[in-house]
Amino acid sequence: MSTTSMRPCGDFRTSYQQDTTIFETKFIWAATCALIAALCAAPFILDEYYISLFIQVAYLGVAALGLNILVGFTGQISLGHGAFFGFGAFASAWINTTLHIPVFFAIPLAGFMTMAVGMMFGLPAARIKGLYLAIATLASQFIIEDFFARADWFSGGSSGAMAEPVDIFGFVFDTDQSFFYIALFALVSMYIWGSNLMRSRDGRAFVAVRDHYLSAEIMGINLTKYRLLSFGISAFYAGIGGALYGHYLGYVSAEGFTIMLSIQFLAMCIIGGLGSIKGTLMGVIFMVLLPESLEGIVGMMKETDWGNIPAVVDGVAYLKEMSIGAVIILFLIFEPEGLAHRWQQIKNYWKFYPFSY
Amino acid sequence: MSKSLFRKSSINGAVVVSIACSLSATALAKNSVFVGHLADLSGPTAFVGKYYADGVRDSLAYINANGGIDGTKLEYETIDYAYKVPQAIGAYKKWKSRKKMVAMQGWGTADTEALITFASRDRIPVYSASYSGHLTDPTGKNPKTKKPAPYNFFYGASYSDSCRALVQWANDDWTAKGAKGKPKFTHIGANHPFPNAPKKACAEYAQELGFEVMPAVVVSMKPGDFKAQCLTLKNSHTNYGYIGNLGGSVLSLIKSCNTVGTELQFMSNVWGGDKKIFKAVGAGIKDYIFPAMTPFWNDNVPGMKLVREISKQSDSSGNKERTHHYARGVCSVFFMKEAMVWAKHNGGITGENVKKGMYAVKDWEPKGLEGVCLPATWTPTDHRGINTVNIYKGNYNGGDIKIERVSQVTLKRRDDWLGY
Repeated sequence: MSTTSMRPCGDFRTSYQQDTTIFETKFIWAATCALIAALCAAPFILDEYYISLFIQVAYLGVAALGLNILVGFTGQISLGHGAFFGFGAFASAWINTTLHIPVFFAIPLAGFMTMAVGMMFGLPAARIKGLYLAIATLASQFIIEDFFARADWFSGGSSGAMAEPVDIFGFVFDTDQSFFYIALFALVSMYIWGSNLMRSRDGRAFVAVRDHYLSAEIMGINLTKYRLLSFGISAFYAGIGGALYGHYLGYVSAEGFTIMLSIQFLAMCIIGGLGSIKGTLMGVIFMVLLPESLEGIVGMMKETDWGNIPAVVDGVAYLKEMSIGAVIILFLIFEPEGLAHRWQQIKNYWKFYPFSY
Repeated sequence: MSKSLFRKSSINGAVVVSIACSLSATALAKNSVFVGHLADLSGPTAFVGKYYADGVRDSLAYINANGGIDGTKLEYETIDYAYKVPQAIGAYKKWKSRKKMVAMQGWGTADTEALITFASRDRIPVYSASYSGHLTDPTGKNPKTKKPAPYNFFYGASYSDSCRALVQWANDDWTAKGAKGKPKFTHIGANHPFPNAPKKACAEYAQELGFEVMPAVVVSMKPGDFKAQCLTLKNSHTNYGYIGNLGGSVLSLIKSCNTVGTELQFMSNVWGGDKKIFKAVGAGIKDYIFPAMTPFWNDNVPGMKLVREISKQSDSSGNKERTHHYARGVCSVFFMKEAMVWAKHNGGITGENVKKGMYAVKDWEPKGLEGVCLPATWTPTDHRGINTVNIYKGNYNGGDIKIERVSQVTLKRRDDWLGY
């Protein structure tokens, strides 16, 4: 698989098949399968709090992978990912309630609708790069956000839109425990699809566009086409993630899809590792768990006598917000290649233990 | 605090926590119920969120210190979710699955709306400070209601009803002034769910009363230079402008409009007018009209005594002047508390019974808060607790801010206004 790091010595690949494999060893393949099987049992073991955190990881993870395909693999930038996420949520609710298409099909349809919108806003990407593109996509964030507030027919305006729970053959997935399986299914299939995409012709074209667009063009890669396609796929993922979010909550309100969400998606990609599929998931898990674990610390302090006074609770609340920012800065300085890189290093260390160099 | 002391106390803290955790199972089995409290202390709505949160928090502490719910201890936890939906969901799920939450005190539009479905499925009453009209139709009686919210309650008139009351006041004001012609009304606010909530409902009522409704003027929620918008207001000769925003944005709007020299009468929503804003704007604020659901700190009403007692929970000196947002938080908790007391004597404190308890009394004033909380009536088909709006006028008055009540408007409980 394509990674940004150089290969260590002794790591030989003798065929293309070996080079593009998703699971490097049989053990990793078996471990992944075992993990997914174990996750299937999670709703029977873990309480609803953990389940809801996993669901959050799933819908944010799907959307964040889309952004990583755009930013990490194709080298473009988008500051409007949060708005696309919201668009997916509204679109799925709208498709389901007005066209009466079952939710299970409304979710992918919403993905395609978001894809169309994403490609529309990706059009400038054919002509502009870098900071200019960042600003152009920033505009998409605000345009779509404004659209949510105005388009009563689509989003319900200020009163929001309701989203029915997922319903397959009469079985309604309206509890956290049941929705968990929908989320798990979406997460696994979208990540497999993402991994496969990256080792296909299109995926290699994305990486070529990122690494050196001029060389890519000389090699016969249609820059406009692939940049646009990348925007489309990125928006498709955002749309699926958003649709899951909408049907999980049962209600979509225009409040949540601000520029802050877009930046949070970017932060997930950067912390996890740009241009890494599994890194994206790590970044998402990190960003979901960070505020929760900090909240846990605040909660512990509140259990004490000296801690349960407003001065302490409020003070720690500010620290909590600041530390999220601080963690992002620290990552940029000490681990610019993200958690995926750190994971690789830990793996290497143990692989050669105790003779690591 | 010195470093070593901090370390020591945090170790002590950890020990206490582990003991508390092991005891919590037995504590739950004892006589207590849990109430979750979501607050925005550090996010974008913290400007007013912290005052409201203080009111809720102090009231919960006060109730506990004074016998709880008729002897049942009230456990509670305040979580600052910084106006982020995922964190609000996380907190809700944690409370629901681990603490067996029976009711929740929420905050803004974002968290309240994200939790509507969960709350009604889990049968947990949610008391919010989001006064959107569409939360008031619990059964979906009005065909316009998109999503019935059977477990959502709030203390106060909805944004739409407050705005209608202001429009009614404006109508009276126009006649009292003896002005001729049709008065012009403009909605001023950001294009976001919160300022937009009453936009349509209010414009319709204004039209009904014979106002000429002008196109809405969009003003960002973030403070800025709003002279262009003020010029629009000036050129359109608007007479009455409804401000949908809050905090710094209102401040900049008034300052910008003073520079431009508009002559319209500002009327704000319930979050857009308090002493802090008047102090910040300074001499520029003149005859600023805003609604309030509670009297002010220095008003002489019997219930204020209890509010001052409650305030001592976090301010032992008792000198801190609280805003009317604080008092609204107090009312929200005390209505919940009395519904819990009712529930306790009618089958036990569960979310479902607390909801029933909300319907038990008509024209209901929580004990000890007479004159502070307006008499409220909730029914199974109508969650418009309050349909009376007190309208106040604020003046800077050379630093000695003067707030006086100019009118009390009681709106009809019209069926077509339910949930809208």
